[in-house]
Amino acid sequence: MKQLGVLLLLLVLFVLPVIVLGLTSLAPGWRFPDLWPRTFSLAGLDYLLKNQERILVSLGSSCLFSLMTVLTTCGMCLAPAAVFARFAFPGKTLLEGLLLTPALVPPMTFAMGLHFLFIKFSLSDTMPGVVLILSMFSYPYMFRALVAGFQNMGQEYEICARNLGAGNLRTLLSVELPLLLPALIAGGSVVFLVAFSEYFLVFLIGGGSVPSFTGTLFPLLSSSNRALASILTLVFLFVPVCLFLTLDTILVRVYRRRGLI
Amino acid sequence: MKSAKLLLRLSPLLIPYLILFCGGVFLTVGQSLGFLTPLPYTGGTFEAYTQLFSDPHFLASFLFSLQVALASALLSVTAGTLLAYWVWKLPQRLQTAAIVYKIPLILPHIAVAFVVLIFWSRSGIVASLAHSLGLIDAMQEFPNLLYSGWGLGMILAYSLKGTPFAMLLIMALLLRFDSRQIQAAYMLGASRLQTFFRVVLPRIAPAMQTGFIILFLYSFGAFDIPYLLSESRPGMLSVNVYNLYFKRDLARRPEAMAMLTFMFCFAVLLIVAYSKIVNRLEDAERKI
Repeated sequence: MKQLGVLLLLLVLFVLPVIVLGLTSLAPGWRFPDLWPRTFSLAGLDYLLKNQERILVSLGSSCLFSLMTVLTTCGMCLAPAAVFARFAFPGKTLLEGLLLTPALVPPMTFAMGLHFLFIKFSLSDTMPGVVLILSMFSYPYMFRALVAGFQNMGQEYEICARNLGAGNLRTLLSVELPLLLPALIAGGSVVFLVAFSEYFLVFLIGGGSVPSFTGTLFPLLSSSNRALASILTLVFLFVPVCLFLTLDTILVRVYRRRGLI
Repeated sequence: MKSAKLLLRLSPLLIPYLILFCGGVFLTVGQSLGFLTPLPYTGGTFEAYTQLFSDPHFLASFLFSLQVALASALLSVTAGTLLAYWVWKLPQRLQTAAIVYKIPLILPHIAVAFVVLIFWSRSGIVASLAHSLGLIDAMQEFPNLLYSGWGLGMILAYSLKGTPFAMLLIMALLLRFDSRQIQAAYMLGASRLQTFFRVVLPRIAPAMQTGFIILFLYSFGAFDIPYLLSESRPGMLSVNVYNLYFKRDLARRPEAMAMLTFMFCFAVLLIVAYSKIVNRLEDAERKI
């Protein structure tokens, strides 16, 4: 009985909002005091189809800069994470603490100062600028995941590969990266989500020139057309979930083919 | 390993950190003192700060931000701890279904704010529910929760987003927790409450503390949710900065930057204090 109660609580807290969003998207005229919509209509979907070009462009742009942020953070963190997992050096704890601060302090505090620099170097209103600022804000998640990944892996595989005559690049590509894949995916999905759902930083650095899905969604949220806002919010849920499921399936297949599971 | 080689291998992270993060903070502080501002600054070096600290509205905003951050972080960690513990006690089969708790983690903050609007505004779902239960007769009788002056809308939104996050951190620790310890506690005569507070809680305390500080700092300084849900006075600090930066005269840029510098110092102070507390706790654990 208590078990069902816990599940019910979880459903009310976390699933009911999604169900309500689904209903709102199909019933633009749903008003107080109706507990259930009186009429359903596809007006919201109609609007979606009419504006599909703008919405698809912003969705694509959001996916693009989020994926580029994942790649950038990965490039930034790979070698340093190996150092942190394997070597002791003076000041390591302090440095680790310092390196984790960008995710903890309010991002406005450095982003607004940086805005000035980005304007000087014409990085503002460009995709690379947005990717840089998002990477700066989200790399600590990747860093943490990779340090843990390197610690789990140990150094034996690397030593073994080198003993067998593999060079730096070969060791990295065919031994270390495949073994780090779970850590990379764990860190990468957090970084992707942070970048994909950020509104303010993209607005500040991207201006209006870098379209983003959050930027398209934002003005609709406070408008009277709740159906459209609900549909777009559901798309928001849908895209990352699909991405993670696809990744998961690919990963399992690759591992099966290599006989790892 | 030689220190030069060490630095070289750390450089992919250190160089962007120094240029972008430290450089960004440096520029924020510099502009707050009147250097490198878009318009030549005529005031004194610390004028922006004197102006800021003599403004009663600023103090009110700061206290309001603290209050919202504290309430939402406490609520998230408490709810997250209880839910994580309950889910962990579920049989394996039902635990798979409990994965739905991750939904708000995927939703962006602005979408969570929208959900709060749909549910808790005066024309929202909860008001409709109260109406059909006969608790209220008209929309006006429903309490104006979102604009009560207490920041309740923001607290609700941050908690909806923060609870699953706290659950995630705590579940990771619980997974490695041997449930036989609980059975042992029961056998030795501990009550349910005693078991929870004396056996389970010490074990998950580190995750609760980390979760609390992360959530507190986030809701203290983030912009997305307050921009949708905040009331005009006293606003959150982040919204005040936004208004000063984008909507007011360019000459007031140092004031906005002084406010950001203040927020930054406050956050750093908290991070330092927190890391000390955590170290002490871990040492105490080790002694036992």
